[in-house]
Amino acid sequence: MTLHLLNRSPQSEGVYRDLREAFGDGDHLLLIEDGCYAALSSGRDAVAAFAGRVSVLKEDLVSRGLEGRVDGAIEVVDMQGFVDLTEIHQRSVSWF
Amino acid sequence: MNSTSGISPATTAIDAPQDLLIVLRHAPHGSSWLREGLDVALVAAAFGKRVGLLFQGDGVFALLQGQSSGPLAQKGTHPQLAMLEMYDIEHLWVSEAALAARGLPVDSLMLPVTSLEASRIARLMHSHPHTLIF
Amino acid sequence: MLVHAAPYSQQGALSALRFANAVVERGHRLSTVFFYHDGVHNASALMSPPQDEVQLADGWKRLHREGGTQLLVCIAAGLRRGLVDTGEAARHGLNSHSVEPPFELTGVGQLVDAMLENDRLITFAP
Repeated sequence: MTLHLLNRSPQSEGVYRDLREAFGDGDHLLLIEDGCYAALSSGRDAVAAFAGRVSVLKEDLVSRGLEGRVDGAIEVVDMQGFVDLTEIHQRSVSWF
Repeated sequence: MNSTSGISPATTAIDAPQDLLIVLRHAPHGSSWLREGLDVALVAAAFGKRVGLLFQGDGVFALLQGQSSGPLAQKGTHPQLAMLEMYDIEHLWVSEAALAARGLPVDSLMLPVTSLEASRIARLMHSHPHTLIF
Repeated sequence: MLVHAAPYSQQGALSALRFANAVVERGHRLSTVFFYHDGVHNASALMSPPQDEVQLADGWKRLHREGGTQLLVCIAAGLRRGLVDTGEAARHGLNSHSVEPPFELTGVGQLVDAMLENDRLITFAP
């Protein structure tokens, strides 16, 4: 089980494509920094392949004015939730 | 779909997890990502760790033949790639989709590599205890 | 922890520091931060951000002071980008230096060791 961190907006299609290749059963995706923009309903296509296994970091949403605009299928986690995810998953990789 | 070019039989084995998998997603010259990722691979190998490389996205351009420092006089990464064998880095994997999207036949590359479809890339990452993406 | 992101240019450096503080607060030990790529700039002793901005250098040093976290800077990536300690400045005939303890210039081998010795590695990129 791998935690994938992604910090790019869906505009960076290549990184989402490469992540889709590498994303396995039981893996989880955490959107951070500009990755937050993929948590809007407009980013639904970019993260569709990870449905039900996507979280987004709350503090990065808030600073960008995105809180309250997050697609219902995506879980919002705070920094404690981020730490939880790294405890649950044995390893993490970062896509950028 | 899985094809191997060249002669190294070791590269056909996907079920050969190494100590460390380095994923290379960036093209040479435009940034230092590729060079710095390969540096980690070579140092880890020099320390006796078994290292595998996965070329994904624009990272597949690292494998083009005919690279040189040329007029840039900027060190390329092809000399590092040429050293892999000397460091016993023999497991070279490449994204089949990344090659196809860029019109690169697997047998046109500078090193023998194993091309992997998406599901096998996920398995490859799963089987490695440590992965770094550059 | 592996930090590729430059301070103040990319959020990654700040994200890394905030995450580092959160894991330490949770009671985990953060043994090593390894600065690589443009992340080496986090080790500059010459950073002088405006008072009302996040003081990243203070944050990194606090991790070392309070938790013993090693702050390791890739020497190859650092030298190319002007990150030199007193020893390297002397060796290369430079008349000033930019890296001071608790930051330490070291080789990539230390990253490999840290990765294999610790049970988690997290990377913050630009």
